[in-house]
Amino acid sequence: MKIIEKECMFVYYRVEGGRTMSNELRFPLKKDISRKIIHVDMDAFFASIEERDHPELIGKPLVIARHPRDTGGKGVVTTANYEARKYGIHSAMSAQKAYELCPKANFVPGNYEYYREVSKKIHAIFHRYTPLVEPVALDEAYLDVTNNLLHSKSAVKIAKYIQHDIWQELHLTCSAGISYNKFIAKLASDYKKPKGMTLVLPEEAEDFLKKLSIDKFHGIGKKTVPRMHELGIFTGEDLYEQDEMMLIREFGKMGYSLYRKVRGIHDTPVEPDRERKSMGRELTYGKLLKTEEEVTVQLRELAEKVANTLKKYQKHGQTVVLKIRYDTFQTITRRKTIPEFVNTKEALFFQASLLWEEVGDITQGVRLLGITVTNLYPLTYENIVLPLWNKELVDW
Amino acid sequence: MKFTVNRNAFLAELATVQRAISSKTTIPILTGVKIVLSADGLSLTGSNADISIETFLSIEDEKAELTIEKNGAIVLQARFFNEIIRKLPETTLTMEVLENNQVHIISGKAAFTVNGLDADSYPHLPVIDEKNQLKLPVRVLNKIINETTFAVSLHESRPILTGVHCILSSAKLLAVATDSHRLSQRIIPVEQAMEDFDVVIPGKSLLELSRSFKDEEELVEISIMENQVLFKTKNMYFYSRLLEGNYPDTNRLIPDNFNTEIEFKVTELLAAIERASLLSHEGRNNIVKLSISSESVVLYGNSPEIGNVEEDLSYKNVKGDPLDISFNPDYMKAALKAFGEGEVVVKFISPIRPFTLEPTESDATFIQLITPVRTN
Repeated sequence: MKIIEKECMFVYYRVEGGRTMSNELRFPLKKDISRKIIHVDMDAFFASIEERDHPELIGKPLVIARHPRDTGGKGVVTTANYEARKYGIHSAMSAQKAYELCPKANFVPGNYEYYREVSKKIHAIFHRYTPLVEPVALDEAYLDVTNNLLHSKSAVKIAKYIQHDIWQELHLTCSAGISYNKFIAKLASDYKKPKGMTLVLPEEAEDFLKKLSIDKFHGIGKKTVPRMHELGIFTGEDLYEQDEMMLIREFGKMGYSLYRKVRGIHDTPVEPDRERKSMGRELTYGKLLKTEEEVTVQLRELAEKVANTLKKYQKHGQTVVLKIRYDTFQTITRRKTIPEFVNTKEALFFQASLLWEEVGDITQGVRLLGITVTNLYPLTYENIVLPLWNKELVDW
Repeated sequence: MKFTVNRNAFLAELATVQRAISSKTTIPILTGVKIVLSADGLSLTGSNADISIETFLSIEDEKAELTIEKNGAIVLQARFFNEIIRKLPETTLTMEVLENNQVHIISGKAAFTVNGLDADSYPHLPVIDEKNQLKLPVRVLNKIINETTFAVSLHESRPILTGVHCILSSAKLLAVATDSHRLSQRIIPVEQAMEDFDVVIPGKSLLELSRSFKDEEELVEISIMENQVLFKTKNMYFYSRLLEGNYPDTNRLIPDNFNTEIEFKVTELLAAIERASLLSHEGRNNIVKLSISSESVVLYGNSPEIGNVEEDLSYKNVKGDPLDISFNPDYMKAALKAFGEGEVVVKFISPIRPFTLEPTESDATFIQLITPVRTN
């Protein structure tokens, strides 16, 4: 058999004499096991902070959400403590549903500014061990400790120090997953919770992944799970058995990536200052918006808020997204990409109004509006404009 | 109406008036070409309401081989008519208007009968006072058009900037265009035999006009009316609508004090800019950087994904302060192309002020302004 290499990316297998054994492209598999990655996931973060500050809440079901009776049934659960989880309550569930599952649960409205402060302290602890910290959310982060500030070869030791520091200084617990890539580290931190620590060595990775249920694989969401099941894929092992080209045909880029992930291959680096990809604001209105004027006023307000955020982070973007939720909870988003960058409230309002004109229907009653800017780039340059319309004296 | 004409001569006239005919017009009659036959010759008219073009094929033009049997007029669908004429088999064709506006087109053994429209329903072109005229050689007008129209704005958000501002006063014609990122201005002395004017002519009209001229050496007579301009040559009337509104005062924007000056050969600088823009076009911001010191002038272009380029530019002369300035290379490219060959002097104030380009042998009659890009 002869292997023809093309740009070292594609390997073409072919039998001498022209008879093709595999007539499809084969992509080489390269497994990088040189890194040491820790994924730290705080245990029921928001709920744990509340329990720490209000010990009377400990040992009882606790839900971080406004009580549905105060909101007329609106609102979602951001966190539930482990007691509440026993009742089937989980984050992203509607507060009303949580109340139905456990009426005696304590509902506490979230104090997110405060949680953000706590999160900063946790990040400060991470930075004692490595500068390569990638925040994912307030309560989780990836750390690359291959070359750490302790010059330690043991990632387990560092994970223990971190758990210890967080407990000593903040009286909070976390779970850590340790492996040679982000994908497995995250699965590992979830493997044993709370206060867990799970190490997955390179030689253990395939077995660890094969045992997982397919919905645990990052990127396989609500829509993909049924398609996987249709193909007879329920576990990591089932996924492992699949042909690469079949996965690519069925799932595109994700198929390519899954074929690798289940083999323990995932090379995405820990990115310390991962840039925000979008900036936006949305507001839910207690009283439905029923006139064009009300929508205009709200869009203007949202545009100003988003413009302020963009300004704060010195960004401008090329795509404006308008989100509308009607009384019926039907939600639509419409995006528009423009040739020139926007970052002012006027430009944002203008683009959002155009989108509203295009898709909005005031007769349905508007429950929520949101403006988001994506395709963000740093505002490091500014095209200077001739002051054609200023009457003032030009002094070059 | 009945005549015989040389097919190529006729096609050439048809092509000219078709510049003004749009197939997408809201007024159906304007998708047609109006053909009028008189004892002197054949005139064709096309219009899209913004531009109207009338050409004339004289009976005395030998190449046209025009023979007239009967005067008359008709309007025919321009696009389709043109296709028919182009595909006719012989070098001459005969056209005859039958009853009910039907037209018979014969060439060799091929005979078409097509439906026309009544010429009386075609709009009348403006009547222009031909006493008040500015006369220029076509060559000079073409030069002005080439030197300014590229700088007009393509955005309809400021309609006035889509035109070229033309001012006649004190025996000088000034033409200036800007899209607010660059500006180009040409001044020519004229023998003024008409009243002063101050008008804004759509850039698109000027481009079509420039393409419609056939003879660089003939004279063009320019007449201005309240909202129309007429450019008249021996065989063509070219009308354009004028833009309404106040054009900004651009004169105050042209700086006169500079801190850094360099002289380049236009072709050499242009080639280097084109090389650098290969990479800048791949980047998000499309900027190149010029780094000037007394020892060297270096041009940088880069794209985070592809790579970068650095070029030590050859230049004639450099004087003044060192400077690093970033700008959009496309503006520079368009500006340099308007100079043709020769040498330019580029004058800078600072990294955040507009810089100018002028021919080295300049008497301030041609100047271009480009705004830089501020980088942090």
